[in-house]
Amino acid sequence: MSNPGLLNELVAALRCLPGVGPKSAQRMAFHLLQRDRDAGRHLARVMAEAMERIGRCRQCRTLSEHALCATCASPKRDASLLCVVEQPSDIAAIEQATDYRGLYFVLGGRLSPLDGIGPEELHLDLLRHRLHEGGVSEAILAISPTVEGSATAHYITGIAEGSPVRITRIAHGVPLGGELELVDGGTLAHAFAGRTHL
Amino acid sequence: MFPADRDRLQPGFVLHRRDYSDSSLLLEVFTGEHGRLPLLAKGAKRGRAPSAALLQPFTPLLLAWRGRGEVQTLVRVEPAGRPVALVGDALYCGFYVNELLTRLLGRQDPHERLFLFYQMVLQELAASRDLDTPLRRFELRLLAELGYAVELDRDAEQGLPVQPHLYYVYSHERGLLPALSPQGDGAVSGATLQCLSRGEALSGSQAREARRLLRALLAPYLGDRPLRSRALFAARPRRPAGT
Ligand SMILES: [Zn+2]
Repeated sequence: MSNPGLLNELVAALRCLPGVGPKSAQRMAFHLLQRDRDAGRHLARVMAEAMERIGRCRQCRTLSEHALCATCASPKRDASLLCVVEQPSDIAAIEQATDYRGLYFVLGGRLSPLDGIGPEELHLDLLRHRLHEGGVSEAILAISPTVEGSATAHYITGIAEGSPVRITRIAHGVPLGGELELVDGGTLAHAFAGRTHL
Repeated sequence: MFPADRDRLQPGFVLHRRDYSDSSLLLEVFTGEHGRLPLLAKGAKRGRAPSAALLQPFTPLLLAWRGRGEVQTLVRVEPAGRPVALVGDALYCGFYVNELLTRLLGRQDPHERLFLFYQMVLQELAASRDLDTPLRRFELRLLAELGYAVELDRDAEQGLPVQPHLYYVYSHERGLLPALSPQGDGAVSGATLQCLSRGEALSGSQAREARRLLRALLAPYLGDRPLRSRALFAARPRRPAGT
């Protein structure tokens, strides 16, 4: 059986989505073409527009269609708190799970010299400027507890030097509902070092 | 039946890891018996007890793997001790050591001695404020283990032992030679060379000389691509003196 070219192209294009293999890409393509062309057209329109119009917020570097994202522009957010995260998806996770009302800064990754990711790639100069221009009293580092995350946190502590900003780090430890014996030694050691008074 | 040593756990360290898929990691591992090798850790980020937290650089591990071809599959991992506590500048130095090994070691060449030296340098970086002395010692040992040993205790022309008050230059073709002038390009004091060949602690100015010398010694093997961890270390914000 030989597929027409455009159909092949659609299936191949859908495979750029994370977790989508050849089988599911084919299913998606057939579904849209056979059952829901309107949804397909809508998807194509929104996709094209989003790819053109969504850029980075100039203040926090999250994904935004405006020069200043909704969070940065909101007068209801507490501008004295700045939460530093790796990815825009981390913001979504924090917004859904916590009642944090401060602002954010998105690094886009963590320092990893062996991957060629240095301070420029993470726009740490922009963060330095933000910490030193005044207005921020606490910067909360919500960075993965990996060795690269720890190097990143150390670097940020360094660039905050001389500013009045207090640098804090979210607690690392045993996952809720997790069993102690299944937790790796490094996590357990972190959890012990970061124990809190009851 | 399977051979007896199938899935035998071997001591090793993760030099570097990257995401391979939503659930798997691609590791670059260093062991004594097999040197540097890539391993695929399937499902390391998922499951009841994901191994991603364990599979990090600077954690002594016991690893077992299977498979054919260049990239084999990790089948078991256990901690072989606590992670080496590298923080701050020492952590950047740890990345540097890992980058050196990733760049300079061929794959699957056994390096039993170098594996010991690697563990020693990590311990020293974690324990000491002086990061230069352990790094330079490791770099010299690395060169020797790769077959590029350099003789720093006598001059190559006359065979005379290095004199602490004289200056020397190192030529890749001819070895260690007396320097024409102490200010000359790449001149190193005999005192620094003695510290290096004896493995003694380097003082401030000696540390700078030794850093420059080792950088020149490593350069031909590293090629044109700059070391990113070296750039990161140079660009890092310094704490004001005394803190
Ligand atoms: Zn913003």
